Amino acid sequence: MFPPRQDVLRLMPEIILSLSGILLMLIEPFLSGARRTLIVTLAALGSGLALVSTIYPATLPGTAFSGLLRIDGFSVFVHVVVEAVAFLVIIGSADYLDREKIQHGEYYALVLFATVGMCVMAGAAELMTAFVGLETSSISTYILAGYRRDVPRSNESAMKYFLLGSFATAFFLYGIALLYGATGTTQLARMTFPTTPGRERLLDLGLGLMLVGLAFKIAAAPFQLWTPDVYEGAPTPVTALMASGPKAAAFALLLRILATVGAAGTFWFWALWVSAALTMFVGNLAAIAQSNVKRMLAYSSISHAGYILVALAAAAASDQVELGVAAVLYYLAVYALMKLGAFIFVSQLGGESERHMEIDDFRGLAVRQPVAAACFALFLLSLLGLPVTSGFLGKFYIFNAALASRLIWLAVLLAINTVIAAFYYLRVIVVMYMRQPNQTWPPAPMPWAVTFVLSIAAAGTFYLGLFPGRVMALATQAALSLPGR
Amino acid sequence: MNQTHILSWILFTPLIGAIVLLFVPRQLDNAQRVIGNVFGFLGLAVSLPLIWRFQIGTPGYQFRENYDWIPSIGAHYSLGIDGISFLLVMLTTILGAISILSSWSAIQNRKKEYYILFLLLQTGMLGVFMALDFFLFYLFWEVMLVPMYFLIGVWGSDRRLYAAIKFFLYTLAGSVLMLLAILALYYRAHEVAGAGAAYTFDIPTSLGAVPQFSTTLQRILFWGFFFAFAIKVPMFPFHTWLPDAHTEAPTAGSVILAGVLLKMGTYGFIRFSLPLLPTDAVARQHIINILMVLSVVGIIYGALVCLMQKDMKKLIAYSSVSHLGFCTLGIFALNPHGVSGSVIQQINHGISTGALFLIVGVLYERRHTRMISEYGGLSTPMPNFAAIYLIATLSSLGLPLLNGFIGEFTILSGVFQVSLRWTAWAVVGIVLGAAYLLWLYQRVMFGPVTNPMNEHLPDLNMREYATLVPLMLLAFWIGIYPKPLFRVLDVPVRQIVEQVNPGYYNSATAQRWGEKPPVAAANDAARTESDSTKALAASAPPAIIAASSEPIAVNTAEKR
Amino acid sequence: MSGNLAQAYAPLLIHLLVALGLSAILLILSSLIGQHRPTREKMQPYECGITPVGDAREPFDVKFYLVAMVFILFDVEAVFLYPWAYVFRELRWFGFTEMLLYILILLAGYVYLWKKGALDWNPSKTQRDRQT
Repeated sequence: MFPPRQDVLRLMPEIILSLSGILLMLIEPFLSGARRTLIVTLAALGSGLALVSTIYPATLPGTAFSGLLRIDGFSVFVHVVVEAVAFLVIIGSADYLDREKIQHGEYYALVLFATVGMCVMAGAAELMTAFVGLETSSISTYILAGYRRDVPRSNESAMKYFLLGSFATAFFLYGIALLYGATGTTQLARMTFPTTPGRERLLDLGLGLMLVGLAFKIAAAPFQLWTPDVYEGAPTPVTALMASGPKAAAFALLLRILATVGAAGTFWFWALWVSAALTMFVGNLAAIAQSNVKRMLAYSSISHAGYILVALAAAAASDQVELGVAAVLYYLAVYALMKLGAFIFVSQLGGESERHMEIDDFRGLAVRQPVAAACFALFLLSLLGLPVTSGFLGKFYIFNAALASRLIWLAVLLAINTVIAAFYYLRVIVVMYMRQPNQTWPPAPMPWAVTFVLSIAAAGTFYLGLFPGRVMALATQAALSLPGR
Repeated sequence: MNQTHILSWILFTPLIGAIVLLFVPRQLDNAQRVIGNVFGFLGLAVSLPLIWRFQIGTPGYQFRENYDWIPSIGAHYSLGIDGISFLLVMLTTILGAISILSSWSAIQNRKKEYYILFLLLQTGMLGVFMALDFFLFYLFWEVMLVPMYFLIGVWGSDRRLYAAIKFFLYTLAGSVLMLLAILALYYRAHEVAGAGAAYTFDIPTSLGAVPQFSTTLQRILFWGFFFAFAIKVPMFPFHTWLPDAHTEAPTAGSVILAGVLLKMGTYGFIRFSLPLLPTDAVARQHIINILMVLSVVGIIYGALVCLMQKDMKKLIAYSSVSHLGFCTLGIFALNPHGVSGSVIQQINHGISTGALFLIVGVLYERRHTRMISEYGGLSTPMPNFAAIYLIATLSSLGLPLLNGFIGEFTILSGVFQVSLRWTAWAVVGIVLGAAYLLWLYQRVMFGPVTNPMNEHLPDLNMREYATLVPLMLLAFWIGIYPKPLFRVLDVPVRQIVEQVNPGYYNSATAQRWGEKPPVAAANDAARTESDSTKALAASAPPAIIAASSEPIAVNTAEKR
Repeated sequence: MSGNLAQAYAPLLIHLLVALGLSAILLILSSLIGQHRPTREKMQPYECGITPVGDAREPFDVKFYLVAMVFILFDVEAVFLYPWAYVFRELRWFGFTEMLLYILILLAGYVYLWKKGALDWNPSKTQRDRQT
């Protein structure tokens, strides 16, 4: 009756994350005074340990807990991405929370719980498990979005995210119900064919509703409307988390459904195609008009979801699923690093209560803070996708997958979007490098923790841009580890 | 195959310099300048051994280096040069060193970043000319965009932001299309090679598969690459970024932009666009006609616009449009004269226009204006400057005994073999070129000193001599004794022409123009290669010739 | 298939309809047949027989929400105990440890709430400060 030992080991990262979250919640009320260091250390330790313990699932592939979870290269890859994001966000948040005077243990606990949810989504082989993961991560992020509770914007952000998010999860749940009705199971692997003939329409409807629910989570058009407001209002480190973590997990879930459920690929293909094209354009065109850095980055993350959707469409279209899947995975890793770096940077530069978030506030940053400016410029260029930075290789693999699946027009649209995107990324660089500073406030401090996070992100951006071999091999392995269609 | 690393050294010396500079404290701005210059010259110094180690007459690429880089997609770190890229690499290192030297006093703020970016730019450009792998090529092609963007945007003059962004967006738009074309080529080449073959970005291999593609695909690929190169060159309708970028960039930036960056476009045309020309004769002629017309329009349009300019730098910028028109015209004549003339003209343009931009820089540093009307009669206070400026002008307009003449003449003789009409139009461009350059010279240098501020301008200083005199010497050398350049270009140009215009060497035109047919040429190459193979080469030809189905070739070879 | 479905659920549907119908009829009948003598007092909201002292739509103290939330949390969790108890004999030690874990996690939440002062109706000044 007890689950086998290896099942528990396979779940090790999740267990460690949950336990450290609970531990944080428990000791938080008992601490007073100099508690910050202890709490941050504990949280970082927890997420770091989880990252290390991912070695267990990596060495023990297979299904666990009577088929609820499927631990394979794919889930391990996403686990690592998500846990690394959590680790970096935790370290990068500490100084921000101090500055905003909202340094509580609960913050870190919520980040850890959100990560548990994402990990579960990455490994879910069964839809109810996936739903539980989705809800765990969503609810934690709803709260985190409103964490600056004295700031109306933050409240608005949390409220919007919560209302629209629960709506989306309802869609997802309804989709699960219909799928269950159509196939008589919630196990993805057994959904290959509808068990009862005449229920194909039900299956399609269920898949469609699930796609809607997940499209909301990844901010794909036309379900992207919440993104700018939520990203802008949330505390910036939380935005960093939302932009990189849950997105990666939702994409992972989409991919797993796509690869496992045969009907999904054919039924979703055009939806993915159209959504990809729409998302890229909506994100990029809107980003051009922004004057607030955080909002611009929010729109840019919409457009990046569009790029990833191109690869997803490629995976749905061809019989070489692994090319598209590997491209998505690689891009997720790349994207998480650069976006996280950009947001953490902005969180520090914004100054107390995020006052200096206009693009114009970055005037002459290259003179005031040359190293920081160079770092931010690197992330922006990577988001733009210039060679030597990881963004280029990420995009390259997407192009590669799209062309291999003969999605030539989608590839051309992606190319056009790259040029449109150049416009707004360059504008920030122009402001930082080519205008004279005129600020009256002192340069933002760069505490060592933030410096550490930014250096990791920058180093990763270079590493993934120059030597993609190893990570790409892992991504390909991960893609191949998915059960084929 | 024993691998030399000379190309890597040339490629990465500037990069090493940039990294070293990164760790020089910001306060020591003189040290930054010195280190920047040291690495600028070091970059030139490490490229000098190429001159004697380069084997003239050896077909194919030399100094090859090849390492796996991203095995999963078949991308390699693969370098190599042939005669064409050899000349362009040398041009890059020479102009790079000179431009860095010319920035000594012109750049006063944020020196550290300036030199770092300049050295990065140098690496990027060299990489473009050396890469033998599409992936690597594209990487360098895009990478050099960023430093140039910053050089224009940070150290440029008034409208620098506009110019920088325009430059970036234009180039990016072209190169993204090229990336798609590269990928299409990559897939198709793999399909042609068969299922067992590995995916590869290797340039010769990929391009070698092109003749087996369908005409439609060849056409698509050609245009896919075309835009990237046409924007870079720039060809006529895509040139609008150039006047802005060249005018607003700092002097050294303009020198590099005109001297080297534009050559990346023409280099791309020669290296990639020519092999990608459709094999189908009708489709090919169609494309060639379009390109010829665009080139001629560019030549004349550029020259006419020059006549209207009030800004010296803008004038020289537009003259680039005209001069580069000659280069593309020569390339798409598809014969040895046209192509080799084009390469030589590219080198010449780098030398003369580079010198002209330096000259404008000299004036700008003294007076901080580029308006022609501000000057006049400068030959009185600055006699030595006047002499050098005159040489540069004459070299640019193509006076015999100076380099410009050699290039333009060879191109025109190549184009003449194809069409008299195009040649005639191009000659109009030369005449107009003489007009605007001499008129500019007259307005700036001759007559009385109209503006009192110009009366006591100091003549050239030692550093300025050091930047200008080498270029003048090169101009004279190419003008008087261009043979070494032609010898370097002979084999690679021959290879290209054989590949893209296989009928040429056997055609009547070729005979009339004294072109050796391929077999004989190969023999020649073999003879010059080394003493030890001489005997072999002498005995081998009859066997080859006997098997040859082309009797005329035999006769000419034997007679010689 | 759909016929089967309708058959299986028909009694339920009928039950539902009858219940709805009956209550609707009763309501309508009482309003039709009954006597109505509205006075001002009668129309006022019922407030334990006392004259209302203010508007009913006043903001509540947030403490009420807190208690309500805490109640729902622990109440709903308790629902899980029923099915568990039903199969407890079959699950044996496994069931026991699982529920132990579950209760422990709940307990952690409970301790957290307690120490945070969520259960104090009148938190002292210092506690209130720590809460924020």
